[in-house]
Amino acid sequence: MLTKLITARKAAQRDASLDAHCRDLSAAQLLAECAELDAFRRHSDNLYERVRALFFLYAINRFHLPEKLPTQAPISHLPSPISSGLIPFTGYEQFLHRRFEEAIDTFLAAQAQQGPSDGLSSALANAYHRLAFQTLADQVRRSVRSVRGNQWMFRVGHPADQPLRLRPELLQRAPDGTYPILRELTPVRMDLTHSAWSDIFFLGMDFPEGAKVLNVSVDLGVHGRDAAPRPPVSAWLRVLDEPVLRLTSVDLGATADITALSDVFDFAKDYLGLLKAAVIAAGVVPPGIEGSGQSLAELLARIVGPGRGLELVSCVNDIPKGSRLAVSTNLLGSLVSVLMRATGQAASLTDELQEHERRIVLARALLGEWLGGSGGGWQDSGGVWPGMKLIEGVIAGEGDPEFGISRGRLMPQHRILNLDDASAETRRKLQDSLVLVHGGMAQNVGPILEMVTEKYLLRCEAEWSGRQDALRILDEVLAALKAGDIRALGAATTRNFREPIQAIIPWASTAFTEQLIERVGREFGDDFWGFWMLGGMSGGGMGFIFAPHRKAEGQRRLQEIMSATKRELQHALPFAMEPVVFDYAINERGTWADLLAADTALMPAGYYALTVPKLLRTDRQELPAARRAELDKFAAACRAKPELRGMVQTLFDTMFPRLKEEKAGAQSLDELLAANGFDRDAHEAIRADLKAARIGLAQNRLPANTVIEDVRAEDVTHTSQKKPLVERGLAALRNGEAAVVTLSAGAASRWTQGAGVVKSLHPFCKLGGRHRTFLEVHLAKSRRISRLAGQAVPHVFTTSYLTHGPLTEFLATNQNYGYEGPLLLSRGASVGLRLVPTARDLRFAWEEMPQQVLDEQQQKVRDSLRTALLRWAESAGEATDYRDNLALQCLHPVGHFYEVPNLLRNGTLAALLRERPQLKTLLLHNIDTTGATLDPALLGQHLSSGATLSFEVITRRLDDRGGGLARVDGRTRLVEGLAMPHEELEFGLSYYNTLTTWIDVDGFLRALGLTRDDVLLSRRGQEAEGLGAAESASSPRRLPDAADAKITAAIRALAAKVPTYITTKDVKKRWGHGQEDVFPVAQFEKLWGDLTALPEIDSRFLVVDRARGQQLKDQAQLDGWLRDGSSAYVESLCAWD
Amino acid sequence: MDIKRAIITAAGKSQRTLPLQSLVDRDGQTKTALAIVIEEVLAAGIEELCVVVCPGDEKDYRAAAGEHAKRLEFVAQKQPLGYGHAVSCAAKFAGKKPFLLLVGDHLYVSGEVRRCAQQLVEVAAKENCAVSAVQATHESKLPYYGAIGGRLIAARQGLYEITEVAEKPTPTVAEQRLIVPGLRAGHYLCFFGMHVLTPSVMALLAEEVAAVGTRGGVHLSATLAKLARKERYLAAELTGRRYDIGAHYGLLTAQLALALSGKDRDEVLTGLVELLAQRGK
Repeated sequence: MLTKLITARKAAQRDASLDAHCRDLSAAQLLAECAELDAFRRHSDNLYERVRALFFLYAINRFHLPEKLPTQAPISHLPSPISSGLIPFTGYEQFLHRRFEEAIDTFLAAQAQQGPSDGLSSALANAYHRLAFQTLADQVRRSVRSVRGNQWMFRVGHPADQPLRLRPELLQRAPDGTYPILRELTPVRMDLTHSAWSDIFFLGMDFPEGAKVLNVSVDLGVHGRDAAPRPPVSAWLRVLDEPVLRLTSVDLGATADITALSDVFDFAKDYLGLLKAAVIAAGVVPPGIEGSGQSLAELLARIVGPGRGLELVSCVNDIPKGSRLAVSTNLLGSLVSVLMRATGQAASLTDELQEHERRIVLARALLGEWLGGSGGGWQDSGGVWPGMKLIEGVIAGEGDPEFGISRGRLMPQHRILNLDDASAETRRKLQDSLVLVHGGMAQNVGPILEMVTEKYLLRCEAEWSGRQDALRILDEVLAALKAGDIRALGAATTRNFREPIQAIIPWASTAFTEQLIERVGREFGDDFWGFWMLGGMSGGGMGFIFAPHRKAEGQRRLQEIMSATKRELQHALPFAMEPVVFDYAINERGTWADLLAADTALMPAGYYALTVPKLLRTDRQELPAARRAELDKFAAACRAKPELRGMVQTLFDTMFPRLKEEKAGAQSLDELLAANGFDRDAHEAIRADLKAARIGLAQNRLPANTVIEDVRAEDVTHTSQKKPLVERGLAALRNGEAAVVTLSAGAASRWTQGAGVVKSLHPFCKLGGRHRTFLEVHLAKSRRISRLAGQAVPHVFTTSYLTHGPLTEFLATNQNYGYEGPLLLSRGASVGLRLVPTARDLRFAWEEMPQQVLDEQQQKVRDSLRTALLRWAESAGEATDYRDNLALQCLHPVGHFYEVPNLLRNGTLAALLRERPQLKTLLLHNIDTTGATLDPALLGQHLSSGATLSFEVITRRLDDRGGGLARVDGRTRLVEGLAMPHEELEFGLSYYNTLTTWIDVDGFLRALGLTRDDVLLSRRGQEAEGLGAAESASSPRRLPDAADAKITAAIRALAAKVPTYITTKDVKKRWGHGQEDVFPVAQFEKLWGDLTALPEIDSRFLVVDRARGQQLKDQAQLDGWLRDGSSAYVESLCAWD
Repeated sequence: MDIKRAIITAAGKSQRTLPLQSLVDRDGQTKTALAIVIEEVLAAGIEELCVVVCPGDEKDYRAAAGEHAKRLEFVAQKQPLGYGHAVSCAAKFAGKKPFLLLVGDHLYVSGEVRRCAQQLVEVAAKENCAVSAVQATHESKLPYYGAIGGRLIAARQGLYEITEVAEKPTPTVAEQRLIVPGLRAGHYLCFFGMHVLTPSVMALLAEEVAAVGTRGGVHLSATLAKLARKERYLAAELTGRRYDIGAHYGLLTAQLALALSGKDRDEVLTGLVELLAQRGK
């Protein structure tokens, strides 16, 4: 039945929603549909039929089938391993190696053998999902290669095959011996409609009728910094008298002389990847020559002449990254354009390009993006075209490479709007009203683009209708432009943002954006005409439309409002830079080139700041004559040209750099270490062990002869809502016997790719009508339980050096979100200093541990980056202290093992016990386990069992990596993924650890050899007279008296029994204007789950529902979390106020 | 169409001495390149020849033409304003008749009994229109030649109707505009250095020369592109090869090609084998 949705001729049937059709099907029917769809996609010749079938299969396995499968009952009453629902490791390996077809076959075979299960459905969903995207990416790649004008470059495999020759004008030396410079000036583009992401290639090729954007070329300047807007992107080219390819990125401060062909294809070796991609995509070093082992000098000789080379310089006028104005794609377009002109691939050396040449630049920019492993939308090279233009998808016709494969063409068509469409007056009015800004957030929009693709191809109801809305809004915008009605335009873009965009992707808005709109609206009232979101997601580039008479004020106030709002949210959201306001002007000529000859033949000023210091250090006589002449010319220009007036100071500062000063008010690294309980002796011991390879990633593993088996039915307890258990739990809650401890020391490193925000403060999702932080969600659950029990539940958040200050401040500002019960912060009492990793560990992590192989070109880029990181580790010094970053990014928490012991050391437990001596149980959970709550039945279960620790586990899905519940040499315990001797062992384990733990306070103290009195008698304990004392417990010092010593000794003794793991973490280092690098650094940690290995602690294991145990680790999970009912489940546990 | 006149151009700056070089022809006789070209032309039934030279070169050329000297008419190109301009210098000679056009620095070795020029003239006579000889050429050689785009004429192997002409196109342009069905990937139909042209070409060239004046840059390819839009204009793949004696080792290659297809083939081959054998030591 479902295959008919794919093959239907009528659009209405073809565009029908899958969800609606699946809603009423039983599990058996869904499985039958899956079998039919799988058979269909295997024999269909049509690319889009195959892809849609794959997405259908993904969606059924991800969203529909799991909820209809019977919940996993106790499998067996016999003492045999549980064997149902396990994901075959072979399939997982195939999945990681991108052999998706084989992986699917393996998973299907397992399904046929074991019967359907949640775990296998998750594995199938993942494999179908990846295969669908792989199929689409392969098609785009084929199309990019087969665009006419691009094909020849893949055939050139030898310098003698190179058909390009440099234009003779560029070889005409000036009398002083210098060559002329060809300069390309290119505007950036802004999308005046937000295209509802319809410019994603896949979507244009699937539904070309819906792929439409209104794209405007603009010049840019930073308000208050630059005198006037100008084309922000420029590319500069000239001939060299050396057989090298000299690439320079002025903004990234990077320059390199490339002499080997292989280095041109090494994209991540330095910051010059974009320039390299342009050199390749323009055919100067054609992609077909990669790996040929030929000589770059010979290739250059063929193009430029024997002994000569080329110099290519890029400059983006310090426009910050993440502006959503497609700066990098337009830079790529600019570079490709200058190289094409120079090699005669454009008819005109200077001035504007012809339409067919612009199209080739677009095709080459697409190729360059693919080579560089990135990829924007097809509208992104819009700056190459002049003024305002409507860019539309095109139905593939006979003669197009896509014909018969996809409905739409890869390349869109551009219609430049004339003065009838938007008069000169309208254009001026638009500029008089619109304020362009960069909010400072730089986020990865990759997951959003995948979500949109998936939803469109599945024709999900709300999203599909959102897309139609967005198309209607585009017509409204066009009408408003024709009528010259900017106010109507503002209303349309605002509605676009509020309705279709957020209906399609709720995550497109952020708490930051919402606050900005709200504040601007409050301040400007009726004179605020509208908001307009640029590009993939808000928070970076955005537009605010004002009544013209208040635009100047709008610019000024927006800067202030954005800065203030950023300050409030800086710990909660990933900001990469200080917000800026732009000045802009519509550019009516598109990309434009001129030839700078004789005295004017100078590179951009920033180029000289970068290169002159090195030249000055060289003996003048050793410099080539042309270089000497250029220096003279530059010196003369510095004296004569006002724009170069500050150059002497700049050069002086570059040559004699000032010592780096710590920011005022910020603590130095050493101060932070001292203040946070850094143990120098332990650190040195760890360093010595790491250097000597006594510890390391390989040493984390249990001995190879350890017997690790899956648990048996009697090893776990399946929980239920049985009445006696619920009543027992409720009674304990009514009596105030339980409290919640939420681990919130973390910095959301996976969530923000290492940006270092406080995860608990991250407003991750709109729930109950507005953005909620993790903190608020957890408190809302405790509030609901408090009301249910008629007794306020104490809630503790454990913190770290990174999160303590921001959490304290945030809770004070937000009055604890009105939480009625006791709310305490437990500050971490120890901290580690990160180390530069050893090359051995990096190699182990990248070569020995299974990991997802990327798409071909992305993998190449990753390999090249890894080589660079290995070089970095070796040159920075393996196992030396990692200090080259913000102080806070150099510290690390030492693992969640310490979180509960810290409650004893910092007086938090004492404070709790004083406030309610009847306290017996703590519920410990991770910040991202959003479903964890003081469930009365589970509490009842834990209390009845008499266990010291009850760990909650869930059945495993493919994404649940990192260990699980196992029998290790006969003992049932949790094993960390790090400790698994063989990767495949993890796949033999039915249950995954959620980390959520019910702790019997007295039992735990007993295991430590302590009593309640010890806790209360400690100095911190005595200080904790009232609950406010937890705040004063924020600067840990050694505890002098006997109880303190006893506690410290007990914790040390316990810690000694659990292993120390070495891990590598990705840490972001920010620099320049929104640029970021990610470094893998080494740190150590001890983990809470290892307590289950200790015989003196009675640990039990409770199997809970996935909705309760699901962790939100990655932003890409959000959409599935919303769609599979998990978020609704969490909302049902919350009482917001 | 009756083709009785031929124009040979030899006025290019780098080309002036090339036709004067001596080679051993297929018949074992030592001749100048110019003499070999003239014989090619005469074998095609041409009766009147005109050579376009730089001012002052006439004497050397007359000497190089040997026994054919008396059949030649010379025209001097007074200013170097482009290849198209050189051709237009012979407009008076061509009159209102079709003519065969050759470049003086190319030699041709036919793969059949008829020589290349004869093959071309016969096609033009039969089709009664302008025809350019073309050869499928790898894209890496595009910087050296004019190239055409067009479509195969049904049921006529090796004959194409020309729609586009571009002088030294980049591969990017070639791929977009000059792809001709039936050729190997990365190959384009490039000029062979031999055309039969109609009087319209002279008229078009005259317009062009008048338009650019002394700035120069009159290209034949641009005029041929106009011709294709104006009247039926074909391209023919001939059985044979062209040799550009002005290219790197061009003279040597041309000599070897002539020798290996002539009466001294065995002798030259023996010499080559000996050379190779010695090199092997």
